[in-house]
Amino acid sequence: MTTGAPSSPSGDDLDRYLPAVASGDADAFGAWMAHAERPVRDSLQSFAARVDTESVVQETFLRIWQVAPRVRTDAKPNALLRLALRIGRNLAISETRRLRTAHAYQNRVGVAADASGPQTAGPPDPMLRRVIAGCRERLPAKPAQALGARLDTAGGQADRALADMLGMRTNTFLQNLTRARKLLAACLAEHGVDLRAELG
Amino acid sequence: MNQREREILIEAAASAQRAPVRGALPVHPAWYDLDAAGREEAFEVTRELRLMEAALDPDGQSTTVRAVLSRIRAGAGGR
Repeated sequence: MTTGAPSSPSGDDLDRYLPAVASGDADAFGAWMAHAERPVRDSLQSFAARVDTESVVQETFLRIWQVAPRVRTDAKPNALLRLALRIGRNLAISETRRLRTAHAYQNRVGVAADASGPQTAGPPDPMLRRVIAGCRERLPAKPAQALGARLDTAGGQADRALADMLGMRTNTFLQNLTRARKLLAACLAEHGVDLRAELG
Repeated sequence: MNQREREILIEAAASAQRAPVRGALPVHPAWYDLDAAGREEAFEVTRELRLMEAALDPDGQSTTVRAVLSRIRAGAGGR
């Protein structure tokens, strides 16, 4: 199944991907994750100082992939996303304990997974995609190279390896990434796009 | 830790790269070196980055999504 860029509005039922995901269609799972990532990550915000939430998000998605064939829908939409929110929260709690930083922090855990239903997040809209592509073209060479290396390898290589590949020291590579991110944000702001507002 | 060192750690922790660890969730080394405020800032930077990455990707996928897909396609999904 070829899913292409997700284009549905936010707030819809992502369970439309479930049959394909359950049958082992990784492309469909990628499309589902593109919608689910933001609500899953945002649900972990209260854990940000206690656990490495990037790691929790990735592990949550891997577990969803594993259990998807056994997931059954119910009367409410987004059964798979609701399960992901529960798995993510439980992983974060376990990880908080493992890192010996439990204390009262758990009491601040949100109840998003049990509320009236999670809000899905649509993919970036076409206007944002056009503007950010134009902003990327305006980046100076070194920040553009650093950003490009991160995007091309998508978590597959450590920053040290990417820096070596570009002939930069690791710290210089990371400083170029910071510069790229800030320049992109400033360029977006010039075009009336407020990233913080986009993220809610 | 000065501001420059702090920014470098935050940028490193915002990567989607996580080296697998047997029997535990991997934790990025830079994340360990940040204080609570730095970790919360890394979370916000990661949110922004993932939105930018998704907007720059033809399939709307961030590096997090692509990292997970890569592990699944490499057989690490465990089905």
